[in-house]
Amino acid sequence: MNLFITFVLTALNPIGSGTTDMCLVADADSPVFYQVELITTKRVAGSGMATGVGEVTFTPSPFGVNLTENGDYLRHIAISVDGLKGPVRGNYVAWVTTPSLAQTTRLGVLGADRKISGNVGYNKFLLVISLEDDDGSSSERWKGPIVLRGMSRSGAMHTSAGHGPFVQENCTGYGFNG
Amino acid sequence: MILLKYGHRLVAEPIKLHRLKFTAIIGLALLTGQVDGQEMDHSAHAMEMGDSLAWTMPPHPMWMDPAMMAPFMGIVPNVSPFLPGPDLDIGVLPMARTPKVKHLADGDTLRLEAAILHGMIGSRMVKVYGFNGQFPGPSLRVPQGATIVVEFTNNIDFSTTLRWHGVRVENSYDGVPGLTQNPVRVGDTYTAHVYFPDAGVFWYHPHQRAHIAQDLGMYGSIIVDSPNPDYYGPANSEESLIIDDALMTDTNWTPFGLEAPTNALMGRFGNVHLVNGKPGFRKTVNKGDVLRLFLIDASNTRNYNLRIEGGVPMKLVAGDLSRFEREEMTPTVIIAPGQRYVVDAKFDEAGEYALTNRITAVDHWMGEYFYQVDTLGIFVVSDQNTSQDYSVEFETLRSNEEVVSEFNAVRAEASRQVDEELVLSLNIGELPIPVIMMMEMDTLFYPPVEFNDAMPMMNWLSTGMDVTWLMHEPDPGASPRDLGPAYGWRFKEGDIVKIRIYNTHESWHPMSHPLHLHGQRFAVIEQDGVETENLVWRDTILIPVGSTIDLMVEMSNPGTWMFNCQIPEHMGSGMSMNFTVDPVP
Repeated sequence: MNLFITFVLTALNPIGSGTTDMCLVADADSPVFYQVELITTKRVAGSGMATGVGEVTFTPSPFGVNLTENGDYLRHIAISVDGLKGPVRGNYVAWVTTPSLAQTTRLGVLGADRKISGNVGYNKFLLVISLEDDDGSSSERWKGPIVLRGMSRSGAMHTSAGHGPFVQENCTGYGFNG
Repeated sequence: MILLKYGHRLVAEPIKLHRLKFTAIIGLALLTGQVDGQEMDHSAHAMEMGDSLAWTMPPHPMWMDPAMMAPFMGIVPNVSPFLPGPDLDIGVLPMARTPKVKHLADGDTLRLEAAILHGMIGSRMVKVYGFNGQFPGPSLRVPQGATIVVEFTNNIDFSTTLRWHGVRVENSYDGVPGLTQNPVRVGDTYTAHVYFPDAGVFWYHPHQRAHIAQDLGMYGSIIVDSPNPDYYGPANSEESLIIDDALMTDTNWTPFGLEAPTNALMGRFGNVHLVNGKPGFRKTVNKGDVLRLFLIDASNTRNYNLRIEGGVPMKLVAGDLSRFEREEMTPTVIIAPGQRYVVDAKFDEAGEYALTNRITAVDHWMGEYFYQVDTLGIFVVSDQNTSQDYSVEFETLRSNEEVVSEFNAVRAEASRQVDEELVLSLNIGELPIPVIMMMEMDTLFYPPVEFNDAMPMMNWLSTGMDVTWLMHEPDPGASPRDLGPAYGWRFKEGDIVKIRIYNTHESWHPMSHPLHLHGQRFAVIEQDGVETENLVWRDTILIPVGSTIDLMVEMSNPGTWMFNCQIPEHMGSGMSMNFTVDPVP
């Protein structure tokens, strides 16, 4: 739960907020709003100055927007990391997981250019870079320490209870316990 | 008496002042027991049409917690409620018939009379709009290259126009009131000469008070047949599915805004799904049949993720104005208002197969996505074997060299500088304080595409009086509040123009927009920096929140044209602009 709260707090300080980015129209890149900022845990040697970003676009589709058969967004995630040293041993492996950790997709080992990309069909998700002894391909989820992590913008969705015009509603009544 | 209508409507900022005033007003009202719609003064909104019409709150979706309605109780939109034919006894109106296919040849005359009809939507007996006694209007079938004469007579409640969505008609017949023609007054007849240069699937609909007239059924499909018998692969049968959703109570339509649209933030989502004007569409085919579907999204604002359950394979063949470069299999069809697709489906086993809309909807109360599946209709596959087996042809994914060749020329120019840029944004005027508070609360996250009405009350209370959607040129030095729609765009016939459109996330409550370009055709060559792999000529494109899209527009049709959001509530709240294509002598 603490990890989750950390992710939420991260999302509350989003990339690009509070700026007027109309000039961005000149750059046809991935949407700034849906970029995932990767924050170092400082738990791994050589990661103290590391930063990263996950760029989120739709996977190519004749419809422009792309969805799974159930209606989940089909995303292409391109991760790039800066300022990350090492590792002395093992590999930095990128993962995408749902907030409950019920489903996890391994994107793969960060390349020498500290980049990796892949596709997922999740609406809310966490990006995790871990340090693994191997390439992580035999694991359902990371086993090593988390090096960087971030949360999709959709993770900032929160109950309306207790907020705005619903300030009188007690959010604990809806399963939120702070 | 405390009126929660105009007195509490404040400008969008500062928020803290709103909250204070809102708390005070609600608190006093609660003490006096007068926060109750029954005690509201509706005189400012009364109809002058002899009907005892009053606002009814929009239906409460099953998933929505009732607490979400509470802050909005007793507040009504600041426009007059409208329902069709307020002075007419429904019992004397002609019963609406199901749409029939009308085959037309070059030079034929089509008489279309729009009128108020007695319709049945589920068990509801309601007044609808239709053409020639049909709801929706007849499905037109014309050969490519034909010109037909349309004599359109308007017998609905108000002036209107008729337009031919996606058809590259002569400018004067484009049906845009105040730009290409005057509105057709009630009782008047207007004659248009409609030329069909492109094969494919199109539709006709009104362009004045479209948020009312289109939703009430004033539309119909158009199939334009290529002279090339091999234009599409073979199919055993064909069906036009014109998809819509209606916002209704148990007995009637939820009223529409008369002077301006309600639901100006997200558009009018419906709660009753209609295919060809009816809930519960059914189509019977034989085992092994390939069924060609001409799909049209005629809804005001709903984006669909259409699937045929049971693993029925679908092949995507064509879009708005052309075939795709390459046919491809697709598990679902994602279609936005105004868009069309041609899809072949193959039914190999007897049984019943549901046509569903599968989405992940947003529950703003819980702050969660949830899966929502709605059944739009059923395909019934009989035990009888198909009369002609097209399995091999269905499994063959064709490459359309003629289309590829056209797009090679377009791609050759794609890397050059952008010619024009547009930003999509929103201005907020006065809105009810709970709406402002919800918009403030909602600033942390916006889904890229709105697939459901996640905040029905907030949406309903926002009207075109208070909300202005904008298509403006980028100006980093200006606030959107100070910008008007882009203007002065001028091109020459034959130009290929590169237009970049950015749907900024930085306005309050941004949302996806299906933009429709009149009179021309375009290709989406890039979205968010990713090149489109399989091009098709389009006239309508869905632009998600935060996305940047590059269009290559072929300016082939002279005149002054409209570029607008296809959501009528957005268009009716300002989201349109004009541009001119000068003829080359």
